[in-house]
Amino acid sequence: MASPPLTSPQAVDLAVRVGTLELGNPILSASGTFGYGLEFAHLAPLEQFGGIVTKGLSLEPLLGNPPHRICETASGMLNSIGLQNIGIRRFLDQVLPDLADYPAKVVVNLFGTTPDEYVRLAELVEPQPGIAAIELNVSCPNVKRGGIQFGHDPELLGDLVRRIRAVTGKPLIVKLSPNVTTPAAIALAARQAGADALSAINTLVGMAIDTRTRRPRLHTVKGGLSGPAIKPIALRIVFDVARASGLPVIGIGGIETVDDVLEFLLAGASAVQVGTALFRDPRTAARLVGDLRQRLFEDGIASARELIGGVLLEPGA
Amino acid sequence: MATRDVACRVLGVECHPLPYYTISLETPPDFPEVAPGQFVMALADPGRDPYLRRAFSVFDVSRAEGLPRLELLGKVIGRGTSRLAARRVGDNVHVLGPLGRGFRLEGAGRAALVAGGVGSAALLLLARALHAAGSAFDVLYGGRRADDLACADRFADLASGAGGELVAVTEDGSRGRRGLVTEALEDGLAASRWHSVFTCGPTPMMARVAALATRHGVPGQAALETPMGCGYGACLGCAVPHRDGRFALCCQDGPVFDFDEVSW
Repeated sequence: MASPPLTSPQAVDLAVRVGTLELGNPILSASGTFGYGLEFAHLAPLEQFGGIVTKGLSLEPLLGNPPHRICETASGMLNSIGLQNIGIRRFLDQVLPDLADYPAKVVVNLFGTTPDEYVRLAELVEPQPGIAAIELNVSCPNVKRGGIQFGHDPELLGDLVRRIRAVTGKPLIVKLSPNVTTPAAIALAARQAGADALSAINTLVGMAIDTRTRRPRLHTVKGGLSGPAIKPIALRIVFDVARASGLPVIGIGGIETVDDVLEFLLAGASAVQVGTALFRDPRTAARLVGDLRQRLFEDGIASARELIGGVLLEPGA
Repeated sequence: MATRDVACRVLGVECHPLPYYTISLETPPDFPEVAPGQFVMALADPGRDPYLRRAFSVFDVSRAEGLPRLELLGKVIGRGTSRLAARRVGDNVHVLGPLGRGFRLEGAGRAALVAGGVGSAALLLLARALHAAGSAFDVLYGGRRADDLACADRFADLASGAGGELVAVTEDGSRGRRGLVTEALEDGLAASRWHSVFTCGPTPMMARVAALATRHGVPGQAALETPMGCGYGACLGCAVPHRDGRFALCCQDGPVFDFDEVSW
């Protein structure tokens, strides 16, 4: 380690690469937890985000599910929003022009119900210079006809990714479901089909019941569990899929503190997305950028990249 | 948008009696003005269980030594609300707010304010605003029993000062009229007593209030309560079925809705 000693936190290099996606720092907002970014600029300094992953976008606007859509659970929450969104065209026309002015990289999260819809979405996104990357939502648990079947079947997923790969040169990130026995098998299929990176994990399917009324707490009975409760599972899956696929991974799941960020980087993530923590505090992502800089400075680590995959394992582990 | 995220010092917690309590918070001097019906998201505890903030109507606002004070009226229901009630003087509570769309007072005329239990939390600032505007109003305050009418005297003072009255209604008759608050409302509507109705309480009660007012041709507004994840429009968790077939967001489009906006 011949790197010169750090003189200040500002000297720490937070820049990371996720495949060909270059980020000023490894902290992004997770899809579905910060809208389209712009509407919350008065609550959080967007310019400090490494990237903003949009709410899942479909070809046509979606109204979402009836209430109740959320309920809090131990150290987390269940949601069943149903992919309510404004549709890709309105996003491109009305949001992207202003959002692209921020240094944070814009990653669009896309979902369709058929491969043709995904392809059409990717075609609409391809000519947009303000969009840095595509994240494919193939793992939302809350829509009956949604993309979930793609994310649960290596063959279907491979075919889907190949078709999208054919129409876009943008970095292609496949968001993995934790609700499968072997996420690594899905990750390998994504890699073989031409994906540039993975993000993991989406929410875990869960359920809660109101014991007084004996009714499920969510209208859709089941929903997606997120928050600190899922962090160890997310960490395990990031570790597994990074090793199995060799692809860069963006870690997601219960991230709230700088220690959480370091854990994901050490497990093999090249960047992280912050989700449910933004509901509790919209400034979480910006705070983590500052905390990470400070922590690396204190630990004498010149670049966040040094940590990626750096977990120390016994031989053979 | 004038929304702040600030740490507020707890000035006091008062029981009215439990499970009802008010918590007084000292905010920074530049805390924005709060409109009647607006709310804040409060986080009492840096721990992770409960993890999310809790939504509270701003019950009252005052000013002392140049610093704005917020008063929140709550009811201990679960972990989040009990943590907040257990705060002590000097503790910090993180407050995001003010949030949402409050009551619109234009053309209120003589008004009925219909509160169900802790729903009264959304109506005290409204009573103050009507009082300040010289608008007469009555407060119909309902609960199962007398203890459910927390801080009723404050409403009584404001209403009588504005040429109206507090009508207490309890299901067990332990205070005021015995029965349901909606029955008292129906009597007054039948007597053409009011030009507008404002309400906050359990959803079935508000649905009944809206139906009765509409039947008598009286417009009104309801401050809705739904589970909220964030309070600022990000989680999309607080969907309210809108008359036009869409889902409105309680936190952004509300919490105050016209009676005819909501698909009850």
